[in-house]
Amino acid sequence: MTAAEASSPAPSGAGTGQPLVVLDHVNKWFGDLHVLQDINLTIRRGEVVVVIGPSGSGKSTLCRAINRLETIQQGSITLDGQPLPDEGKQLAKLRAEVGMVFQSFNLFAHKTILENVTLGPIKVRKQKKEDADRRAMELLERVGISEQSHKYPAQLSGGQQQRVAIARALAMEPKVMLFDEPTSALDPEMIKEVLDVMVDLAERGMTMVVVTHEMGFARTAANRVIFMADGKIVEENTPEEFFTNPQSDRAKDFLGKILKH
Amino acid sequence: MEDITSNFDLVLKAFWLTLQLLVLSGIASLILGTVLAAMRVGPISVLRKAGAAYVTIVRNTPLLIVFVFVFIAAAKLGWFVGTPFVIKGVAALTIYTSAFVCEAVRSGVNSVSLGQAEASRAIGLTFSQSMQFVVLPQSFRAVVPPLASVLIALAKNTSVAAAFGLMEATARMRYFTNNNADDRLWIFLVFAVGYIIIVELMSVGAMSLERRWKVAR
Amino acid sequence: MRFMRTKVVAIAAGLSFALAACGEAGSNGGGEEVEVDVAENAAENFDDGTRMKELAESGSITIGVKFDQPGIGFKGAADDMPKGFDPEMGKILAASLGIAPEDITWKETISDNREPFLQSGEVDLVIASYSITDDRREVVGQAGPYYITGQQFLVKKGGTDIDTLEDVKGTEVCSVTGSTSLDNAEGVGAKPRGFDTYSECVDQVLSGTVDAMTTDGAILLGYAAEHPDDLEVVVEPFSEERYGVGYSKDSPEMCQWINDTIEESYENGKWEEAFEATLGASGVDTPEQPELDPCEG
Repeated sequence: MTAAEASSPAPSGAGTGQPLVVLDHVNKWFGDLHVLQDINLTIRRGEVVVVIGPSGSGKSTLCRAINRLETIQQGSITLDGQPLPDEGKQLAKLRAEVGMVFQSFNLFAHKTILENVTLGPIKVRKQKKEDADRRAMELLERVGISEQSHKYPAQLSGGQQQRVAIARALAMEPKVMLFDEPTSALDPEMIKEVLDVMVDLAERGMTMVVVTHEMGFARTAANRVIFMADGKIVEENTPEEFFTNPQSDRAKDFLGKILKH
Repeated sequence: MEDITSNFDLVLKAFWLTLQLLVLSGIASLILGTVLAAMRVGPISVLRKAGAAYVTIVRNTPLLIVFVFVFIAAAKLGWFVGTPFVIKGVAALTIYTSAFVCEAVRSGVNSVSLGQAEASRAIGLTFSQSMQFVVLPQSFRAVVPPLASVLIALAKNTSVAAAFGLMEATARMRYFTNNNADDRLWIFLVFAVGYIIIVELMSVGAMSLERRWKVAR
Repeated sequence: MRFMRTKVVAIAAGLSFALAACGEAGSNGGGEEVEVDVAENAAENFDDGTRMKELAESGSITIGVKFDQPGIGFKGAADDMPKGFDPEMGKILAASLGIAPEDITWKETISDNREPFLQSGEVDLVIASYSITDDRREVVGQAGPYYITGQQFLVKKGGTDIDTLEDVKGTEVCSVTGSTSLDNAEGVGAKPRGFDTYSECVDQVLSGTVDAMTTDGAILLGYAAEHPDDLEVVVEPFSEERYGVGYSKDSPEMCQWINDTIEESYENGKWEEAFEATLGASGVDTPEQPELDPCEG
């Protein structure tokens, strides 16, 4: 264990568990644009990985490729030893194992908060409505939204909506949670309430891949920071090492820009 | 005027057939059109292309030609010979109308943000579950006005069946006008009012649906 | 995509069948031309201010006929002029005004637009299997009759039990949408199936989609003559259709002229010639010359 890992309150065994998500020589193009260039990445059970990098670096695409919201052209991605299936029932089954939280929340606009959380458990996990409701209320309690369960998404603030989105993903009891810039669309005063929920999640041992610019979160909760630029993984290190002693010029340049604020 | 008042049951019977054609082909077109729309926005490339080809072919064919195909050309090939006329009429109207329903539904689906579909896929819903529980319910509000236009056009399009063995309102009107050369204006008016009532009821229905869904959000 | 392709072929095949049927009809549409004697200086025979005088002086006339009834009035896609008994009667009437057959403008009238065309002056005469009825005489003039026929049924040869009018009960019978003939069939319990044209209706009989076609026997004979192996006309005529010549009520003086001209054609043999060259070609005997209704006033 490095000094950096010891300083983070990550759950025990982080970084030493079995590989859960493995990306092997992954390549993706958008037309002529090579957005993912030979990505190799292993995320172990219980590990919290923060992906940072300038916009257009491919970090969101990487995150979305893990549950095949983006398809890849070369290489392989496996989840818990299983390669990602093509479209169809198998893929849906796999996605149920991978929680995803979006930048723009994407709560189901025509359903109540409670229905947003129970839709997956009822339709995908075939749980009874009472069981799904009970579990959903526990999760809403945990993210602090239980009193709003009968409301519609549009009646909630952004921070509240994002916490519901986290509860919705957790209701599926996923093996890994993906966060695609979860706080970028939020007003500053709401960012903390969402980060608190995420830190809590990390402390409970959830495997997480988080695309974010929140250095505080990375320092507090991450086991590892991945720095991406131009579709490549340029640097990967513990948060402590990365922020205090970046190796590459790209990383130095990037940190220089965001830490000025 | 006397002929039409003393035989008003024939007028009602004819409009009853018009309504049957409208309701049966309306329901069938809504189902087939929604399936086609799902094919067109779905993940399977073969189905996407098949859906697009269907819409292109049918939407660019005059309804009369579709009727000629179902009633005349198909009979020459020995198809549908024993099929009841009402069913053939419903089939011709459905083949035609479902292409327009497909495009109305598809525009409604496109009005729902992509994030909704992504979020539903991310929790493990299959494509059809995502359409059924998330995308289509949200698209209804955007779909009602164009769909109402499509169905109102269908109500009037049923009159094409008059030339293909179906004694619906327009056919019956032609019998009346032919037998009562001196009373044509009145006969036209009676039948026009019948159509106006049907279409007006449909637009009132569509408006109240629109209003209800506006409140439900 | 394989499925799509077969469907397209099927559509093409179906349409070409339909076209082929039209072409076929065209070749049998009527017999040889009948010579008419065009009157010279005809305008002198009519009083000033009459419609006949105007027409004779102008040297042209517009006559509405059917284009889709073989034997009666039929014009194939490639024909210059309609053929049939009705156009022949038109030529006889025009000739008495000194108008040669080639100076006649033929206009297609369908059952629905015969009265409007006469009222608006779109046509000068309608000779289009135009049965004389009291209702029609309310709005237009009808002189004649120059031919009497009756409603019968056209069925597939040998494949039917229809011997009397009552036998059509419960069967599907087609005709042209809006025609009185269908009302009569409906009256005895047949299911009426109206189509836009007689040829579409004949197609339905040929394909077995409907059991019979009904309309005036004269029209049915024309189609039976086209398909002698497949179709036959059955049942004694059960109605009397008296074909008249329609004219505008604005020119009541035309009635007597039409009657006189028909009478003349009875006497000089032109009427019989016209019949034999057209409807008579299907093998029926030339009927008796109908007695003309007297003109009013």
